[in-house]
Amino acid sequence: MLIFSGSSNIPLAQKIARYFDKEISPVEIFTFPDGEKRITLSDRVVGETTVLIQSTNSPVDTNYMELFLMTDALKRSGASEIKLVIPYMGYQRQDHIFRDGEGVSLEVMAKILEAVGINEVFSFDLHSIKIPEIFTIPTHNLSALPIFAQKIKEDFSGKEPILISPDMGGVRRIKEISEMLNIPFTTIVKDRDLNNGSICDSKLNGEVGGRQAIMVDDMMSTGETMIKAADLLLEKGATAVFAFATHAVLSGDASQKLQESKIEKVFVTDTVEIPEDKKFAKLEILSIAKVAADALIS
Amino acid sequence: MAKTQINNTGFPNFVLLTGSANEPLAKKIAKLLKSPLNNPVSIFADGEIRIKIAPNLRRRHVFIIQPTCAPVNDHIVELLLMIDAAKRASSSEVIVIMPYFAYSRQDRKEMARVPISSAVIASMIAHAGADRILTLDIHSEQEEGFIQQPWDNVYASYALAPAIKKKKLNNLVVVSPDKGGVSRATFYQGLVGAGELAIVYKERDLSVNNKSEALAMVGDVKGKNVLLVDDMIDAGGTIVHAADYLKEKGAKRIFACVTHGLFSGEALSRISKSAIEKVIVTDSVKHRVEVVKNPKIEIVSVAPLLAEAIKRIETGDSISSLIIH
Repeated sequence: MLIFSGSSNIPLAQKIARYFDKEISPVEIFTFPDGEKRITLSDRVVGETTVLIQSTNSPVDTNYMELFLMTDALKRSGASEIKLVIPYMGYQRQDHIFRDGEGVSLEVMAKILEAVGINEVFSFDLHSIKIPEIFTIPTHNLSALPIFAQKIKEDFSGKEPILISPDMGGVRRIKEISEMLNIPFTTIVKDRDLNNGSICDSKLNGEVGGRQAIMVDDMMSTGETMIKAADLLLEKGATAVFAFATHAVLSGDASQKLQESKIEKVFVTDTVEIPEDKKFAKLEILSIAKVAADALIS
Repeated sequence: MAKTQINNTGFPNFVLLTGSANEPLAKKIAKLLKSPLNNPVSIFADGEIRIKIAPNLRRRHVFIIQPTCAPVNDHIVELLLMIDAAKRASSSEVIVIMPYFAYSRQDRKEMARVPISSAVIASMIAHAGADRILTLDIHSEQEEGFIQQPWDNVYASYALAPAIKKKKLNNLVVVSPDKGGVSRATFYQGLVGAGELAIVYKERDLSVNNKSEALAMVGDVKGKNVLLVDDMIDAGGTIVHAADYLKEKGAKRIFACVTHGLFSGEALSRISKSAIEKVIVTDSVKHRVEVVKNPKIEIVSVAPLLAEAIKRIETGDSISSLIIH
């Protein structure tokens, strides 16, 4: 087996490779001034099972193109199987038509991944559990929740916290981690303006008074959802608020806003590589490398 | 020319869409076709493209004008997502007008363990749901075979040859700056009525991207005016080296005629310092202000050619008769 990585998250790819006592196979990725990429593999792959690791976070289109071209190179060079580890799958929030005149962008990406020759997909905490159905190849929705559960067990034992889903879309997720930990949960109902995506109203189901509130979500993009939810929870009497999210998308000045927010601490994973200038004091990064490696072995 | 079919609501059956790659060109085409133009592209906070098409597309032919110029990857994905949204809005046919085809130079395995990137792009367009594609001077016409869908390739000579003829250059030799461009040069030789043809050979070192060297030539340019013909100028090395080499060999005035002007890296300063008097180039890609203002660069529009091609696709007229001029 050979392990390849695109340029989006090399540290994670190296960590995954380490579980197999391997190095990442070298790939030369040259970028022309207009953004065109030229990919050159060096290891012989004829008849080999290959693993290709690439998150498609921002710059999403460039990262997808790199992935498509690397897959084509592997396929044309004779790889017998290409397993894709796509820890963060770009365009996953565009998984259905919200308004007339829109497309289903994620399905376009899925079709192309299959067309270029991917045989199996491993991703993490997909926005909707129906996303694997978009693919016609085996697609595994792995989760960082067991990692979060372990962390909560270690850091919050005896503190009687309450788990919070910052929106109704995360109910399934919050139930799952609640069962793992035997900790109660509640949810926030959030309404979005479908035209501009901004949050217009939110309210809390249930009581949080006198307890530490632990929010769990799939991703943190602008951070707006978590920050507004934290304000609401504190208003309703929570003693402190913590945030867990698998994907640290951190768009724009999200890092700064989160640091300045009332959230005590922010836990994310390494599905998206966080550049140094987006790291902040309240941030703690947990690794999903072992979960990915275990899934590839089984 | 046959008239564009009008449906019973009084509107043409086709809808023009443009992405953000080259809106000025799309606007010119729309104006010539007297058609409204829509840009359905916006960007989410995390950088993901969002498409929302406003006009009704039901049972319409949709033309998407999107040369995939820089930043190429974003413009490719924009195109794919527009095709998908147009398909899902019940359009009867989606036609991609892609005057510049990114990655078209990566059209074969130049060495072991590389992708055939151009084939990947073509296949992506087909998988997104395009019914037909129209390109302008695609790097190699064999690329049309990458997909099963109808693929028309029109020639920028429709716009470039009249611009060259206007210069009234006598004693003219058409020169290909490399071995690959000989048939294109022969074609232009006929179009502009040049007496002779010459070929400059270059050797490209594959381990160094974008670097090339003029080495030798077949033909004679001594005391003659020269028209260098190529499909694209990227960093400009190929054409500038060829021009300087031709100057050494005694060429008089040197003009270059190029379809796609990417003018990346040091291209503009190289051209300024070179023996080239004028580069005649089309607006297949959106030009930066520095390119438009450069005194050595003359831009001719391919909007009339593309508008005519769109008309003919709509009316079922021949595209091939557009090609020879």
